Amino acid sequence: MGVDVPRTVRAALADRPVEGRVCLEAGAGVGNATAGLLEAGASRVYAVTNDAEHAAAVRERLGRAHSDRLAVVEADLRATPLATDSVDLVTAHGLCNVLDPPTLDRVATELSRVARPDAHLVVDDYAPPPEGAAVSKLFALENAAAHLVDGRPLLTFYPADLLAGVFAAHGWAFERRETLLDPVPWTEAHLKAHANEVRDRAAALPPALGDPLEAMADDLAASIGSERAGEMYGLAFRRADE
Amino acid sequence: MTFGAIALNWLEQEGANQMVELVLDHGVNHFDVAPTYGDAELKLGPKLRQHREDIFLGCKTQERDYEGAKRKLERSLDRLGVDSIDLHQFHGLEYEEELDTITGDGGALEAYREAKDEGKIDHIGLTSHGDPDLILDAIDRIDDLETVMFPYNPVVAGKDDAEHDYEAVLERCEAEGIGTLGIKAFAKGPWPSTDELPEADRPYANWYEPVDSPDEIRERFDFAASRGLDTVVNPGDPKLVAMVLDAASRYEGMDEARQRALIEELRHEDSPVPEQLHH
Repeated sequence: MGVDVPRTVRAALADRPVEGRVCLEAGAGVGNATAGLLEAGASRVYAVTNDAEHAAAVRERLGRAHSDRLAVVEADLRATPLATDSVDLVTAHGLCNVLDPPTLDRVATELSRVARPDAHLVVDDYAPPPEGAAVSKLFALENAAAHLVDGRPLLTFYPADLLAGVFAAHGWAFERRETLLDPVPWTEAHLKAHANEVRDRAAALPPALGDPLEAMADDLAASIGSERAGEMYGLAFRRADE
Repeated sequence: MTFGAIALNWLEQEGANQMVELVLDHGVNHFDVAPTYGDAELKLGPKLRQHREDIFLGCKTQERDYEGAKRKLERSLDRLGVDSIDLHQFHGLEYEEELDTITGDGGALEAYREAKDEGKIDHIGLTSHGDPDLILDAIDRIDDLETVMFPYNPVVAGKDDAEHDYEAVLERCEAEGIGTLGIKAFAKGPWPSTDELPEADRPYANWYEPVDSPDEIRERFDFAASRGLDTVVNPGDPKLVAMVLDAASRYEGMDEARQRALIEELRHEDSPVPEQLHH
């Protein structure tokens, strides 16, 4: 079964109006929120991602069963092909932590543009990991590699209040905060995926620099194994244009 | 918590007696046994008779027809050395046809009802590892069904397909006032293949590999108990019973964020979805 809806998604959508609404999953990943939106009866879901592999994964996972309601859109979230004022509910489930602050600001602008005047917004993300969390070392390594290659960090863990402030500045009135996961289970598979992010960037660096980064990432992932650390929170907003 | 008396099967009589005393000391008053659990009925007997008033006794049969069910009930009463069983269950229901036999003419249900009229059993229940739909069907077809026992743990709770939809069973039972007993709450996974680990080399006498540290046991107990089950049955191996008793004694519930964390942690086990960074 690949379509199991994560309980984080189900909890985040439980008090939002989804049935019969046009929805947008911003940063679809493998389509976790998309699966939840479809399950909750969305009339249409735009799953937007800039990653071709993720787009293919969402199509594979959900496309066949929901071809009448699902559109997987490969696009940059700073400039989507969606019409202005066209979406009733936007989700950003685990999205913001892969956006650095300038990008976050531009994505927030775009999400506000496509949202209808009375639209809802769901933002689920990770609080900064607690001090001493072993996973932080792997995340730091990931950011170091990303800085070297892309000139910006890969991961930014925003405190909930900070994200609430960003979206408030883009016309969203804060409605509620809930805890989706506490602790967050960073499984072996998650850590491997994070180590792979380092590996991808290391490959773009001269071996003298890339090889040690890669080795450090593998060592870290192996020595941590898995860890329970931190919190995933869920924020909900309503569009509140003056 | 319910004491799964299969644990007694692997103990000598003196150890079995001590186990029953230990369980009673922790305030557990619901015991569950079956004729298929080796010598468990016989080993439970002495202490059961000594404390009969304090124990709500569950038993079961795998017999689906009238004669077989009647015979096995008499055998259990005899082996246990008691006059009556408080809760008698259809054991391990797996197929629709079995339900047809149980509820049909000359079926086990007739024997159960007759025994109920004679005061040999007090309540009728059902246990199943099978399809949740089959359990719902049984609830529809057996008016006087009062309990159901089924597997429930974070792996099961994280799956959405009909095959694992025990949530629907929980909801239905709550609506109809039917008691729910959770088994396999402590399952970690299937044992490695017998090539890798011969049956004789398994460290626990369970059908599956159990979690076995105090923290994990406590976490699994708290999870199962906080999801709406009326009671959670210990894993069958006697080595694990004391840990479960301790967990049950210290139970304070589990908040939803932690429940989700447990489900999420195990959700990826056999998922064909490519791994990503997020939950």
